Formats: sequence, structure tokens, C-alpha cells
Amino acid sequence: MLFIIGPLLRLLLLASPQTLGDALRDAELRDSIALTIVTATLATLLAALLGVPLAYLLARRSFPGHRIIQGIVDLPVVIPHPVAGIALLLFLGRRSPVGSVLAQFGLEFVSHVPGIVAAMLFVSAPILVSGAREAFRGVDPQLERVARTLGDTAWSAFRRVTLPLAGRGILAGSILAWARSISEFGSIVILTYNPKVASIFIFDRFTAFGLPAAVPAAVILLLVALAVFLLVRLLQPEDRR
Amino acid sequence: MIRLVDLQVQVGGFHLRNISLEVPRGGYALIIGPTGSGKTTLLEAIAGHAPLRAGRVFMHDDDVTRLPPERRGLGFVYQQYHLFPHLTVRHNIGYGLPGRGSNNGNNGDRIEELAELLAITPLLDRPIRGLSGGEQQRVALARALAPRPSILLLDEPFAAVDPATRQVLRRELRQLHEREGITTLQVTHDFDEALRLGDLVAVLSEGRIAQSGTPEQVFRYPNSAFVARFIGTGNVIAGTVERSESGSDTVPFPGRFKAENLVLDVVAEREGPSHAVVRPEDIVLSLAEHRDSARNHKEGTVVRLERGGPVTLVHLDVGRPLIASITSTSAEDMSLRAGMRVILSFKATAIHLV
Repeated sequence: MLFIIGPLLRLLLLASPQTLGDALRDAELRDSIALTIVTATLATLLAALLGVPLAYLLARRSFPGHRIIQGIVDLPVVIPHPVAGIALLLFLGRRSPVGSVLAQFGLEFVSHVPGIVAAMLFVSAPILVSGAREAFRGVDPQLERVARTLGDTAWSAFRRVTLPLAGRGILAGSILAWARSISEFGSIVILTYNPKVASIFIFDRFTAFGLPAAVPAAVILLLVALAVFLLVRLLQPEDRR
Repeated sequence: MIRLVDLQVQVGGFHLRNISLEVPRGGYALIIGPTGSGKTTLLEAIAGHAPLRAGRVFMHDDDVTRLPPERRGLGFVYQQYHLFPHLTVRHNIGYGLPGRGSNNGNNGDRIEELAELLAITPLLDRPIRGLSGGEQQRVALARALAPRPSILLLDEPFAAVDPATRQVLRRELRQLHEREGITTLQVTHDFDEALRLGDLVAVLSEGRIAQSGTPEQVFRYPNSAFVARFIGTGNVIAGTVERSESGSDTVPFPGRFKAENLVLDVVAEREGPSHAVVRPEDIVLSLAEHRDSARNHKEGTVVRLERGGPVTLVHLDVGRPLIASITSTSAEDMSLRAGMRVILSFKATAIHLV
């Protein structure tokens, strides 16, 4: 307990209005935080768009390859982040088949913003998918059948019953995925060092100018993380808290 | 009208086979059977939730076999109600009404009408959480009835409410049925419910219809030992039928039914292994033997009395156990006690052979 609270408290105590004000006047820091929030949001939206339907299938249907797909979705969790970064670099780099095709459409990853989004998507999608999957599992499938007998098509039963009931769980999973994206460092540092997201900015300041230069940015990132944590806690239904 | 023609359904390892049944328009049919006999699966197949392997489903002369559930125009009330937990009572009832079940115009009127009919008006703006079982049942019923379905399917609708509420709900359901003229098919494991509610009963056993007919027919003339035992006819005895006067080949013929420690005079239609079904109320008990038209007189011992209000069940030993039922008044008159010797008499025609 102390081991968790101690360091965080030590960092928070440095968050005087003075340091925060200084930090927010730092244009480079402001830019990197804005970049982080934009890319993390993009990655989360992408993950939700692709991951929520997949999560529904995994929760409700049994089909050949169910376990394999489940396994593939969970795989990124066990891969060390720099390894993920190297793999993504090899896959999306300009000299790779996929990367060269995408580059022709103007989509460049290495040292570009899409690279940040790709790395964030890779590490955060599993969190969103498993959160959404559990949320769907928590909704009684019979409710959809009832809705069908009351005149709903499969789609409107999903939209009017299952989605609202799973909504909080999906939202909580999305916020966790978003937070995971915000905190990602290992794979982004390999794929896209510049432009710098907040975690890389902190690392950069620390290596170039030492501890005092890194602290204000670290405090702000910590505050963002704490806010997310509180939000997820509030979203979880009481009986599961 | 609901007509099922040779339905075959497989869900997991469970099969329904050769299900044919017709419920006339405005009729009230009950499917009864023990747990695991396939009652719920049958309802799901009719509603379009379980895929058919073969057979056809007709509703009012329309073949709906290939229609999805939402286009079959039926209401379905589940055993566990399955109310939508994220909606109020009002929005649950209005769910199937056009225009998102909002409170406007006709929808509002229909919701109010049903709420009044089922005495849940004060609950309309409450959330589902916190409703009692009986209240949830009424809301589920109102929700299924709101879009005015012409067919109503009920899956053990009274299983989860207390006996007093059950009686009230049963009566209300029967009244609703008459008022709205809905063709109704209800699943139950309680034959008593079938006797009270249904025009038609089908007994389901291991995925097949063992017997169907009016409740009175099925109760009076069960066609197998399984049906007789399941509907609780009382005495079901395994034995063999023999002709009394060999040589004659009339049907039916007077015969003797031989079972372990018991021989009965019967009127039979065929010889060989059989079950004798004797309803407890057809056995007359007396303290002294007197000649009457009854062919079967047996001496027995009272083992135990089971008082149930106006009727007392008498467990007897005549070399094998038998149950008789007499009015509690005559049990008092005869001052029946355990251990007493009594004479049992019953007519040969009161013995139903299956």
C-alpha cells in the first residue's frame, strides 16, 4: 500500500500552483499533451468501432475459431512494449509491403502521428474488447428474444436493449483503453519518437535536463490518470465494485 | 389459431419429435410435462427462436415457419419475466407499441388501459428494480399484450409467485383471455392448472406429445401409465389382463386384472400386460361389507390419513398400497383411524386400463 501511495504522494506534493502554472506556460508541453489526448482518443474510437462488434460476437455466438480469435485479441497484453514497437515498425515501415501500400495513400506511420495511433491501438484494443465482451456477457440474452417477440428486428433489439444495458461497461472499458493509450511509452518510442507524446516528452526532458525539468509534465500526466481512474470507478455498477 | 405440423427441433443434445398440435382460434391450450420434457423449447420453436429441423408452423392459416420472431405477431411471457431493467414499468409495457412506446396518444391510452386491467397503475413510473414477483408478472403480461397479439405464449407464468397471487393471476389471465380473445398456449408442470384454465391439454414426455385432448378426457382416460402418474391420478398398478370367459371374443370383455397381491374384476379391451388406473374418488370405503353393484370388494387396513380441507386422502394397505379419497365429513362419520380394517369397493368400469 505504502509502496503505491508513497511515490505518487511525493510527486503530487510537488504540484504547487506555481509548478503547474509553469508547466502550462511551456508551449512544448502543452502541444505534447494535446497530441497525446488527440491520438489516444483516435485510437480509442478506432478500437471501439472495430472492437465492440467483435466483443459482441465473442460474447454471444459460438463459431469455429472462437477460441483462436479470443487468443489473438488477448495476445498484445503479454508482448513487451518495445517488442510490439519493433514488430509494428517492421509491419508498417515504408519498406514493408503493407507500409509501402499505405504510404501511397499518404498514410505514413514511422515518425508520424498515425504511428502513435497505431501503437496505442495495438496495446489498448485488447482492454476495450475484453471490457466490452464482459459487458455484453452481463446482459441476459433472453432480453433480446423478448424484444424480438415485441416486434424488434435483431438490430433494433441490440440497439434498444443490449447496447444500453452494456453501455456503462463498454464506456468503462473504453476509458481504460484510453488511459492505457495515454500511458503508452515503449512501443511509441520506437515507432514515433517525434512528434512527442507526453510520456516521451517526460523521458526526453529527464534525459536532457534532469529531474526538475521532468517533474511538471509528470504531475500533469499523473492528474489526468487519477481523473480517469475516478471516472471508471464511478461508472462501475455498485455490486461489482 | 396455432397449428403445428410434425415439428422436429434440436437444441444442443435435446430433441423434439413429431409434434403436431392444433389450438383453435381463441382457444386456451396447456402443454404440461415434467422438467426437461421440452416444453420451453417447444414454445421457443413456435416463437421462432429455435431453428426447426423439419415441420411447419401455421398461425391463422399463414405459414410462419420461415418468418423471424418479430413478424409472427405473438406475445411471449417468460417464466423469469425478463423485464427490461433499464426502462420504467411504463416503457416496458409500451416497448412493443409503435413510435418507441412513448406516452403519446393511442400508446398512452393502451398502456393506461392494461395497467388498470392488471391493477398496476400506481407502478407505471417506477423502475423495474424493486418490484415484487407478482408485480413483475403483471408488467410482463401487460407488455406482451400491449401490441394486441393474436397469439399469446406463456412459459410457466405462475411458477415464481406465491400461491395466493398465483390464484388471483390465474383468474385474471382467464378473464383477459376471454376479453381479448387471444389464442393462448401455456406451458406448465401443474396439471391442476391445466384443469382450471385450459380447453385443451397436451402432455409432453421426452420430446414427444404423449397425449392430447380436453383436460377432462386426459384426466379421466390417461392413455399411458406415464400420463396417469404425471397427472396424479392416484393409483397406477402394473399387471396383466386375462379373459374371464375364455372362448368368447367380444370387445370389450369382462376380465381379470392380476397384479402383485391384487386381483381385480375389470372391463377390458385387450389381454396382456397392462396398467390399471383407479382414481381415489372412485373407491368407496365402508366399515361393513354390503352387496352393491360394485364388482370389486377388498378388505384393507388404513395406514395413514391425509387431511386436505374438504377432502381426506386415505392411504390403505390391501396387500399393496392404494389411495382412496373421501369427504372429510364421511371420514369423521366413520371415525377413521390408522390401523382400522375397512372394506374398499369400486366398480369394474371405474378401472381404466392403459
